[in-house]
Amino acid sequence: MDDMSIQDYLEQGGKLTSPANVPPRYRAELMKLMATFVDSELAGAAGFADTINNGPGIKERIAAAKIVLEKTDNADKVLKLMGEFGVDQARYANHHPWTARLERAADIGATRSAHDMRLAVFNYPLEGWGDAVVMNLLMGHAADVQMQDFKRVSYQPLAEAFRLIAPIEQRHAELAEEGMVRLMAEDQGAALQASIDYWWPRVAASFGSGEGNRYEALRAMGLRHRPNAEIRAAWEERAESVLQGLGLTAPT
Amino acid sequence: MAQFHNLKVTDIHRTIRDAVVLTLEPDDRTAFDFIQGQYLTFRREFDGEELRRSYSICSGRAEDKLQVGIKRVEGGAFSTWANEELKVGETLEAMAPMGGFHTPLDPGAEKQYLGFAGGSGITPVLSIIKTTLEVEPKSTFTLVYANKGVATIMFREELEDLKNQYLGRLSVIHVLEQDAQEIDLFTGMVTEEKCAQLFRTWVDVESIDTAFICGPEPMMLGIAKALRDHGLDDAQIKFELFASAQPGRLPKKAVSQEAGKTANQAEVAITLDGSTQTISAAKDITVLDAARANQMDAPYACKAGVCSTCRCRVIEGEVEMVANHALEDYEVEKGYVLSCQSYPVTDRVVVDYDQ
Repeated sequence: MDDMSIQDYLEQGGKLTSPANVPPRYRAELMKLMATFVDSELAGAAGFADTINNGPGIKERIAAAKIVLEKTDNADKVLKLMGEFGVDQARYANHHPWTARLERAADIGATRSAHDMRLAVFNYPLEGWGDAVVMNLLMGHAADVQMQDFKRVSYQPLAEAFRLIAPIEQRHAELAEEGMVRLMAEDQGAALQASIDYWWPRVAASFGSGEGNRYEALRAMGLRHRPNAEIRAAWEERAESVLQGLGLTAPT
Repeated sequence: MAQFHNLKVTDIHRTIRDAVVLTLEPDDRTAFDFIQGQYLTFRREFDGEELRRSYSICSGRAEDKLQVGIKRVEGGAFSTWANEELKVGETLEAMAPMGGFHTPLDPGAEKQYLGFAGGSGITPVLSIIKTTLEVEPKSTFTLVYANKGVATIMFREELEDLKNQYLGRLSVIHVLEQDAQEIDLFTGMVTEEKCAQLFRTWVDVESIDTAFICGPEPMMLGIAKALRDHGLDDAQIKFELFASAQPGRLPKKAVSQEAGKTANQAEVAITLDGSTQTISAAKDITVLDAARANQMDAPYACKAGVCSTCRCRVIEGEVEMVANHALEDYEVEKGYVLSCQSYPVTDRVVVDYDQ
């Protein structure tokens, strides 16, 4: 068989299958990607846990509890893979207070807090049930759009984990939509619109901005497949049409 | 954290000139209750340096024995040792089985599987074939097995025996790079084009539920592309990249000529993505922060010494790593540190994120 470098192999869409065959820089970028996902899920679940009791009915509370459970479970699926690279899973799960939030009015753009890799959007606090449902709806669709890329990631065990996770995250967005329908029927449109106006730019920022060289490097490793701007545009289009269907509007 | 167990070598069977099958008896049998297609990671010291190597299990789940196949790799310390020096009765150390190169089996299922193996890539595929044919009596398996020549086919007889044992349920297509065969199609390399030709006449690819591929890089790419072109989606294709890509032995850490520890400032040379930048940094700033303060995009995630994203290797000089919950002793011995937890001690430090 002819020899081929791992770089060429990855560039041509090859898959890596175990910690034993990942090169050092690939390892680092893969760990970052996994840490970002795990931290976002843990922070998202922790923030949402407080909202369970705000659910207006038992169905809503069940839905919220299910989302908290499943996001934590999704974090665990990926943390297990990090464990195969030597990460102390028990310590990792507790190394940061996942419920910690900044002020509602804090403006941190796309930057992350100093201590964990959660997406910036998970640093803002939720304000009541309707606000939590809106955040979950917008972020749920963002996750779903992102998952289409994640499912193709070149680290095969992670791609497989994301294939299990994607339909679960998709269901969370659907649950949020069902919650929105009920709130709209209760005439809460104005409050929901205010929440949309608050969360929309923050979710949009979570896709990151211009990247250039970095995107190229990650693309060559098979860890990314579409530039941030393209993924964000796909989300905007999708979220806009969902909001429209509910009788709400996306900020321009 | 990684835990190693002792396994006694109870049999060594030479399958071809440069490959052996080891039968192993673990001290802890429950820890080695494997899934077909998984691998074991062994460790052993060579000239005072620990090496870790992964080899796939080749026995089936129903066989009630644990076997791995090891083909000698040119210049490979572990595989050469296993082939030439290892004796029955000796003890090896390995971690519990790992790997996701498998799909769930169901005794009621009636599935068509397709496997591709290149050279010693047969080992996990053999485990999958044996287990699948045993557990799913209605399923069939087609194996396309690529080798240089007849003499290098690992498990040739064993595959023949399996064909007889599971009459009509296992078909094997040997594709040989050098030796001519009766059918021209079966000579050459297993490339994208070769697959397309096989799919035209010999393999009904549309009926395939799951495909397994284990081999070297170019072969994996070609086969995966051919499978996708013929309608399989990513979830139906299982990969196991063969161990050829495992990192070799690293050069020993250079001993600093001037192991000075006097100044409060250190000169830190940092290599990242192929380029090296030398910066002056205070000794109370971590190597990671020093790199980032100088516009180097050094990787990190948890900054708590837990995740190991920021791992780099100290080539020269000395750093103090104040916390480490991720790297194992053998990695630390090789000079790896968590840069988010490491402060320069000597006046000159050289680190590399690319190793």
